[in-house]
Amino acid sequence: MTESQDLDLTPRDADDVSVGRKRLRNWLIMGTFTAVIGFVLFQALTSAAQFYYNVDEAVARRGELEDSTFRIQGTVTSEQAPDANGALIFTIAYGGVDTAVRHVGAEPSDLFEIGIPVVSEGHWEGDVFQSRQLLVKHSESYEAENPDRVEYDLDDTPGYVPDNTVE
Amino acid sequence: MLGVLSAVGVAALLLFGLILSPPDVAQADSVRLFYIHVPSAIVGLYLAFGVTCLGSIIHLRNGSVFWDLLAGAAAEIGVVFAGFTLVTGMLWGRPTWGVYWQWDPRLTSTSLSFLLFLGYLAVRRLDLDPAVRSKRAAILGIIGFLNLIIVRQSVQWWRSLHQGSTLNPVDAQIDGLMLFSFFLGLIALTSVFFWLLLHRFRVAWMEHQIEAASVTTALAARRSEAADYDGLAGNT
Repeated sequence: MTESQDLDLTPRDADDVSVGRKRLRNWLIMGTFTAVIGFVLFQALTSAAQFYYNVDEAVARRGELEDSTFRIQGTVTSEQAPDANGALIFTIAYGGVDTAVRHVGAEPSDLFEIGIPVVSEGHWEGDVFQSRQLLVKHSESYEAENPDRVEYDLDDTPGYVPDNTVE
Repeated sequence: MLGVLSAVGVAALLLFGLILSPPDVAQADSVRLFYIHVPSAIVGLYLAFGVTCLGSIIHLRNGSVFWDLLAGAAAEIGVVFAGFTLVTGMLWGRPTWGVYWQWDPRLTSTSLSFLLFLGYLAVRRLDLDPAVRSKRAAILGIIGFLNLIIVRQSVQWWRSLHQGSTLNPVDAQIDGLMLFSFFLGLIALTSVFFWLLLHRFRVAWMEHQIEAASVTTALAARRSEAADYDGLAGNT
């Protein structure tokens, strides 16, 4: 019998502290990952799944949505000068139905104008949608700016009467 | 060669994207983000994560280390491109939508993809048996790629703030020089991706070889020590 046969050659486990740290690290990584994915999935199921109601749907479900904050989508059909409180007042339409919107909050982007679709977040107050956030949608079309294009202001057009139907 | 092509492509993209292409009639100069935002989304999400998915499938079928390492390398670059897509999208969102971020279907599903592949990379670094780790990562790589179907279809399946697809094969709704700048961006970023993939994979492959060699060397050293010990014991 040689002395090497007296050696303990059985595999040895790493010390408990090292194994514990590795396990903790693995659980921390996977726990963080799961929590973040869970948060995004929650957003997907709540906000993203029903991002907005179109004007016709929001008007039809006014009673049901009365106490809720939600988003409404429609195309801007008319715009008034801001009221005494600085609120932006305009109408939006979709599916043959229109509604008045009174927006108080951050100004919309420069793309905001008559004819552009917008998504507004807020709530019903009577027949007027009280908006606190106004998002401008842009289309998937891209057209080069033409330097020869004639620019004009609608207000300067002879015979143009601004729509002031929104009270 | 690929590096030179990438550098030339990026230089041409900067020239066309920033100077030669015209501003958009509605969005003015912010449309220039289109030439990097969309190509980086295509390259990062679909090309890079596509390579990860393919590599993961082949690795699960035959245990190929080559495809496992290629999948990991592609995912690392894909995450960088996907992150770049999210950042450029936010920068574009501010002047157009009026906000940097909204939890709309396209943005939510894209951020989920980004996180799934970050998770894929995290799994690849877990302190587990290498074979188990690679298998788990491969499964996550395939799931992450399947989520891209949701990303792609999100603007059709749900109501989104994000616009639909501009690049309709039948009728692309974009002016000539703008479309050219976009394709230039796609070619340039694809070239950058393959150049980075080549180098990242080479590093991963060398790391694997060194690891394998070090195990072989350590085994040989232990056997040699045991033989020396036996010889020494036999002489006494």
